[in-house]
Amino acid sequence: MESTSLAEQQRILASDWGGGKSPFGTSWSKFMMWIFIISDALTFAGFLIAYGFMRKVAPAWPNQMEDVFSPVLITFMTFVLISSSAVMAMAVSAAKAHDPKTAVRYIAMTIFGGAIFLACQVYEWAHFIGEGATLTKNPWGVPQFSASFFVITGFHGFHVLSGLTILAIVALRAAMGKYSADSVENAGLYWHFVDVVWVFVFAFYYLL
Amino acid sequence: MATQEHAHPHSYKQYFTTWCWLLGMTLLALGLGYLHLPGGIKAFLLVGITLAKIFLIGSIFMHLKTERVNLVMLTFTPLILSIILFAFTAGESREGVPSHKLENVSPAFVMPTGPHEAGAEAKPEEKAEEKK
Repeated sequence: MESTSLAEQQRILASDWGGGKSPFGTSWSKFMMWIFIISDALTFAGFLIAYGFMRKVAPAWPNQMEDVFSPVLITFMTFVLISSSAVMAMAVSAAKAHDPKTAVRYIAMTIFGGAIFLACQVYEWAHFIGEGATLTKNPWGVPQFSASFFVITGFHGFHVLSGLTILAIVALRAAMGKYSADSVENAGLYWHFVDVVWVFVFAFYYLL
Repeated sequence: MATQEHAHPHSYKQYFTTWCWLLGMTLLALGLGYLHLPGGIKAFLLVGITLAKIFLIGSIFMHLKTERVNLVMLTFTPLILSIILFAFTAGESREGVPSHKLENVSPAFVMPTGPHEAGAEAKPEEKAEEKK
């Protein structure tokens, strides 16, 4: 009696913690994508903490939301990115259900959303630079303000651009028939991660 | 084929519900941004909303809900550890004593604020090089 319960316990333990040949229960490519996402998340965590640190140490800080940026534009950008993320999740579902045509259509919609987001960001940067902001100085007096803006949104924007490239490659390959549900899912994971980073930037950089 | 058609609308519906929640929380966060609350309360609420959004995106869009516990632990442990690590730096930023730590830092690490200061910082470095 006791031995069966022990075996049962071991089976339960093994199902969640067991090593075996596949301790994480994923394909190697998905696992690597997760490792990449974690390290990239730590990079952005470093940026955001550095920003918080600079803001606390700085003698003054401009009221970003009311005096500098347009909250309506930022909220629209967030809306576009969240929507593209939801559509990407649908693309992954379609890919898993062996429906490449639908998957390609949804990936194309995701790319469209990402392109709108990037266009908004280009507009915002152009506007900000037009007002006299550079990496080392800005009209609002605190040099760290524009420095952190350009570094954080610049890194995020570059991630969006990379994501669009990855999605375009995956969509092209799927359209050519070189299609695998794994590649769509991995590209989707990356795209959701870009969305996650923006949610943080939206809250801590623009609203706080 | 029948199972696919059955599976599609179900997961799409869940994605749509998640999207609605995310949108609602984004608008809530925007509203909070306009409110003039004490800094601490505002930060606490914004962090809460952000974490709720991350939880939704992670569990449903990124499928962590259906992944093994091993993978979920792998994704969150480094982030929690990094937050603990960063929390230790809080003491270095004293509120109300602006840049008091910066005085002890080598000039090379301080961002020049204008052409005058940048020139003043360059001189000691040149002298140091001459001595060598």
